[in-house]
Amino acid sequence: MQNKNIRNFSIIAHIDHGKSTIADRLIEYTGTLSQREMEAQVLDSMDLERERGITIKAQTVRLDYKGKDGQLYQLNLIDTPGHVDFTYEVSRSLAACEGALLVVDAAQGVEAQTLANVYMALENDLEIVPVINKIDLPSADPERVKEEIENTIGLDASEAVLASAKTGLGIEEILDAIVEKIPAPEGDENAPLQALIFDSFFDSYKGVIAHVRVKQGKIKKGMRLKMMATGKTFEVTDVGCFKPQPVDVGELNMGEVGFVAGSLKDVRDVQVGDTITFADRPADKPLPGYRGVTPMVYCGLYPVESSDYDNLKDALEKMQINDAALVFEPETSVALGFGFRCGFLGLLHMDVIQERLEREYNLKLITTAPSVIYHVYKTDGSMLNVSNPADLPPQTEIEHIEEPFVKATVIVPNDFVGAVMEISQEKRGVFKNMDYLDTNRVMITYHIPLNEIIYDYFDRLKSATRGYASLDYELADYQESKLVKVDILLNGDPVDALSTIVHKDKAPSRGRQLASKLKEIIPQQMFEIPIQAAIGSKVIARENVRARRKDVLAKCYGGDISRKRKLLEKQKEGKKRMKAVGSVEVPQEAFMAILKID
Amino acid sequence: MQWGVYIHIPFCRQKCFYCDFPSYAGREQQMKAYTEALCQEIAIQGLSYRQKWGRPATVYIGGGTPTALPAAYMTEILTAIAAHLGTDVPEFTVECNPGTVDRDYFKVLQAGGVNRLSFGVQSFNDKLLKRIGRIHSVEEAVAAVRAAQQAGFTNLSVDLMYGLPGQTLQDVADSIAQAQTLAVQHISIYGLQLEEGTVFARQESQGRLVLPADDETEAMYDYINEKLPQLGFARYEVSNFARPGKESRHNLGYWQDVPYLGLGAAAHSYLEGRRYENTADIAAYINRINTGASAGQLEEEPTPQHIMEEFAFLALRTAEGLSREKFAAKFNRELSEVYGRTMSDLEKKGLLTVDEKGCRLTAKGFKYGNWVFAEFLL
Repeated sequence: MQNKNIRNFSIIAHIDHGKSTIADRLIEYTGTLSQREMEAQVLDSMDLERERGITIKAQTVRLDYKGKDGQLYQLNLIDTPGHVDFTYEVSRSLAACEGALLVVDAAQGVEAQTLANVYMALENDLEIVPVINKIDLPSADPERVKEEIENTIGLDASEAVLASAKTGLGIEEILDAIVEKIPAPEGDENAPLQALIFDSFFDSYKGVIAHVRVKQGKIKKGMRLKMMATGKTFEVTDVGCFKPQPVDVGELNMGEVGFVAGSLKDVRDVQVGDTITFADRPADKPLPGYRGVTPMVYCGLYPVESSDYDNLKDALEKMQINDAALVFEPETSVALGFGFRCGFLGLLHMDVIQERLEREYNLKLITTAPSVIYHVYKTDGSMLNVSNPADLPPQTEIEHIEEPFVKATVIVPNDFVGAVMEISQEKRGVFKNMDYLDTNRVMITYHIPLNEIIYDYFDRLKSATRGYASLDYELADYQESKLVKVDILLNGDPVDALSTIVHKDKAPSRGRQLASKLKEIIPQQMFEIPIQAAIGSKVIARENVRARRKDVLAKCYGGDISRKRKLLEKQKEGKKRMKAVGSVEVPQEAFMAILKID
Repeated sequence: MQWGVYIHIPFCRQKCFYCDFPSYAGREQQMKAYTEALCQEIAIQGLSYRQKWGRPATVYIGGGTPTALPAAYMTEILTAIAAHLGTDVPEFTVECNPGTVDRDYFKVLQAGGVNRLSFGVQSFNDKLLKRIGRIHSVEEAVAAVRAAQQAGFTNLSVDLMYGLPGQTLQDVADSIAQAQTLAVQHISIYGLQLEEGTVFARQESQGRLVLPADDETEAMYDYINEKLPQLGFARYEVSNFARPGKESRHNLGYWQDVPYLGLGAAAHSYLEGRRYENTADIAAYINRINTGASAGQLEEEPTPQHIMEEFAFLALRTAEGLSREKFAAKFNRELSEVYGRTMSDLEKKGLLTVDEKGCRLTAKGFKYGNWVFAEFLL
């Protein structure tokens, strides 16, 4: 394929604005897959993705399309994960393209996350092709949406394609617009190889498979290549493209998108954003934009049954094979025993991993409340990274603490500006900026602690704005905050896994809320259980779980033993989900109680 | 071979507000056909087990309200029992609802070989009886027990309840005193449990059910378990108290791994280690029996683990508790080998007494019985 006939593009869209439906239609229209194959293959992705309606693992597909000029074009669609946790991955996918379709719902208009991705695409010098989807909806207002695109992004939307992925309307126009508007890749095919890794996955036969975009040079089977950041070298055993199943084509030339495999065992050797080059004649510099994986959110994962520790370890190791962003190390809790401190890109990533561990590996887990990484400056001049509140040194040894802040962008209809500001202020946010996107919608920017975001910021925004708010955030910096550790004592004993780090001014109310939430969650037991919240030795809140008075099964009707048995089994099952902490049986959800207080 | 027979009569004049047992009001038109089907089942199933195991040690006719059946139908059933299961059954109990029985009815029962009566009284307080949907008054209850005694019955039980809406500790004390005055031999006392589908559950969801506070209910429980033994009624099972030698052998059978054959709609059987349940639908039951089909169905194929668990938690309901000897005899394994750790944990918590004979609930253990039983699930 000649370079001039290659187009590399991705699709930028908000959740539910129709990204995957449009992708499906493009695959179908170009005959890459028949409708039957579509159902069998394209939809056969992870259960969780389907349930949550989001893309966790990006898909890549090569489409062959005969343009209006009669020439054959190779269109490479590079899908991007659609969640704020995966911003870096999105940026690398975009860096592999020359253009992007901006898909906007004709009724709903531009959303914060879309906007963030469009800006990212513009930073990468991508040509943006606006597509207004769902124009068949009665509430569709394409003219307003066009105006919004022009006002917010400054793009000319006059030639936006009007489409309905559902009915198939506008699909051919989209394909033609890709051919006409998105530039062909440029680069020197004789220069030393530079291939950008934008995704990877593990195949049990071929090892780690890297998704790449060849920026210059070419890749052929048998070549010896090298990862510029990790230094790993390998010999190419497979090279090909996705249609969307992997097809071995023997080589990838400048401008093309596909995959490379070479008996690589560890996903950590194949890092998103890294540059692949020749082992013996390397490029003089890697492609820009690489950064290592940096988890933003940490939590403790513990098996309910301590005998499951090894199973949990195996499961985490297996998950890590396919997920370079997951990090973990052993951790011990006085209350929970042996477990792991795990780092995630964000809350969704954390949820997904937990759910997969429980579903796919049949593990019963206790998850401690998520935490960010604090920079703790000690009086002796040293600095500690603390991601587990239990590891916070005594107050007397702390000089000061810094916590991560993010730049949070919220888009809402202007009626809700007050609500957003109120919540953001309450969450210790500092107002930065406010822009009217059009006469109705406003974009508000706050500088706000990440710690507050991972609690219930977005949920609160959603409910205060009747679901209209959309949120995007990116790490901004670390700043000093007055933070203290709130400990929880059950029956007089501190439970390390329930400790939490909060802002000093909020500690008393957080302590009270946490104690009262725990009172709801911890079931009555045979004795009274005092619950205390304390800062250091100072008790700031106290509650009591009253003793259970009795627990007696009543009448046995006519020898119906099975019914009794079922009741007991239910009781036993309930107990299995609890962890004995000292003499107190504590349910799993207690360790996440901090997230459930309002 | 010791075995028992349970016979279910699924009719009631009126459904009590707390009751979710399989019993139905307003089904008088089904009584005749039901009686015939039941007699048929007694003739076939009853006879076949009698031929195998001999005359049963106990027969228990429960419900529902067995005495809601007209005396003529009751006579037919008693006749069938005598013919196919045998006469002179050592313990032959019928549950009676005051308000459905009179002297003549007792004569009928007596003539049919019945030698033990269990009265569903629940409370000796008219206001409470009304509040829980009973059809009888205190006066009728007292009259029924007296009439039974006059008819010559010497083995009588009354059922009482505590934790009822509007009930006080004093009400419970009064009811116990009244039962004592009536000189019955056996008292069963059950705490109210809210079950789905009952009138109480509906009232609860509408916020119209005010139950005594937990402390009050606990005080009732404590009172009952202290007072009855003082009055000479020993607690031989979680909810059952009796004069010496007057324990219900039939009910003990449930806890002591004794086989029983259940006859009638919704009756449960435990035969050769398997548990069966008859269809609970009256019409379906009648139809099955009339077409020569069996009314029963295996609940589930028991696993060795299930059998062991049930043996343990059922035995623990009794004062005698779980015996090392019986356990070893049945399973060919030492009790401590299977439950040693469970027993010592529970002993440490003060819930179980463990000794060379086996283990049994302490007073505290009885109070948290469910909690203890659940620990015996493997």
